[in-house]
Amino acid sequence: MNENISRLMDGELDDAELDRCLAELKSADAMQAWVSYHVIGDHLRGTGGGARGVPARFAAALAAEPTVLAPHARAHRPAQPATFAWAVAATIAAVTVVGWTAFSMVDVPPNAVAKAREAATVRAAQVKPPAELPADYLMAHQEYSPATAIHGGGTYLRAVATAGAEPRP
Amino acid sequence: MMHQGSAVPRAVLRAAIGVVLLAAVLGASRARAQDAATWLTEVTQAARLLNYSGTIVFRQGNRVETFRLTHLNDNGQEWEKLVSLDGPAREIVRSGNEVRQYLPEAKVVRIEPRTIRNVFPSLSAEQIGNLTQFYNFRRIGGERIAGQTVDIVVFEPKDGLRYAHKFWSHTSTGLLLKARLLNEKGEIIEEFAFSDVSLNPKIDKESVKPSWATVPPDWQVKRGGPGEVVQNDTGWNVGKVPPGFTKIMEGIRKLPGKPNPVAHIVYSDGLVAISIFIEPFTVTQTQIGLTQAGGLAQYTTRSDAFLVTVLGEVPPATVRQIAQSVARR
Repeated sequence: MNENISRLMDGELDDAELDRCLAELKSADAMQAWVSYHVIGDHLRGTGGGARGVPARFAAALAAEPTVLAPHARAHRPAQPATFAWAVAATIAAVTVVGWTAFSMVDVPPNAVAKAREAATVRAAQVKPPAELPADYLMAHQEYSPATAIHGGGTYLRAVATAGAEPRP
Repeated sequence: MMHQGSAVPRAVLRAAIGVVLLAAVLGASRARAQDAATWLTEVTQAARLLNYSGTIVFRQGNRVETFRLTHLNDNGQEWEKLVSLDGPAREIVRSGNEVRQYLPEAKVVRIEPRTIRNVFPSLSAEQIGNLTQFYNFRRIGGERIAGQTVDIVVFEPKDGLRYAHKFWSHTSTGLLLKARLLNEKGEIIEEFAFSDVSLNPKIDKESVKPSWATVPPDWQVKRGGPGEVVQNDTGWNVGKVPPGFTKIMEGIRKLPGKPNPVAHIVYSDGLVAISIFIEPFTVTQTQIGLTQAGGLAQYTTRSDAFLVTVLGEVPPATVRQIAQSVARR
């Protein structure tokens, strides 16, 4: 169950799993996990206190993504603040709607579930910044994609649009 | 008795009308499919065969950048130069099958072999059929882009697993002058458009050569590329392939930067492709989850001892669905 809550927050649940997870959130244990994870989420977004007791998975995620969240790193990625703000907004939307649904502890109105699902989906789509796709995979993919042939020289726009992030020596 | 007598011919008549209508509908849809395939072939040929130069405005989400593109077809040998006009200086030069990417601020040049398999003149009958079975293909009149008269065509998806594609192609040459990707809500995911273009100009070979005749000595030369692929059964099964996507390649790829061979499977619906990469999991790989760069979405997940990465010009939910369905046969 806790893993499902974590995956819900990551926006990784499919529709059927989401329904099950929302139903299970009515139990006290699940709520405890839900609340804990959001406290952790607040820490990740820099809106909470210390990070004591953060589960390993979140600690790892935190370690892997500090450049996205730390304000000083944003100077190197001028194109990202808007998207990041969007992701935060979407996250807050997801947390608000899903959180309210879970806390109500009564029969969940279907439209709230729909909203939660939409918010969770949006968040999944926006959770990471427009990042460096692995260049070798991208090249291998473009060899076969019809989109490459359609766009001609325009294909390289995607490659150079992200190449600005090349680390300085 | 009269009823019975007249009912039979009426039923026959109805069936006959049905057959004629069905044939007309099938004929019309086949004609539409052929029209879509012809349009795609013309556009891709124009991009390769013509000489042109112009300014491109490229938009990914909220981010807008401008580039200068010059393309020369020198007796069948293609030269292409793309230079960024704002943001960090970047320059890409393609000559034949080699691509060089110059990043002067980082003092890096990337040199990569590049093979483009142009699929369009050789789309299979199945792929041509899929194009109009899973997209509504429509020509919606004309417009002017960069001072040129263009035709507008739209591929509207019939499900949420693909993006909508809108194209503006030069009426007399077929060259693509503007392209837009839209999501289910009609929001623009990615767009490029020429703001000015010069078609079939006399292009001096010097103008498609790199700004650096030789690589400066203090620059770092990075050689990479997609490596060679040997087509073969990889032993992997992809469970949730969206309808209309057919497998166009399966093989084992040796990527220059990776110690282990990578299984590579490609599916295409005739307009875009989805690549599935499977490699042994190593602890240094941390990029798990979803990554998006404009029209490209990538989802990486761990499946036991393997790392599964799905990449394609499709919505995030589509790559995620596929990544979670990859399993050993």
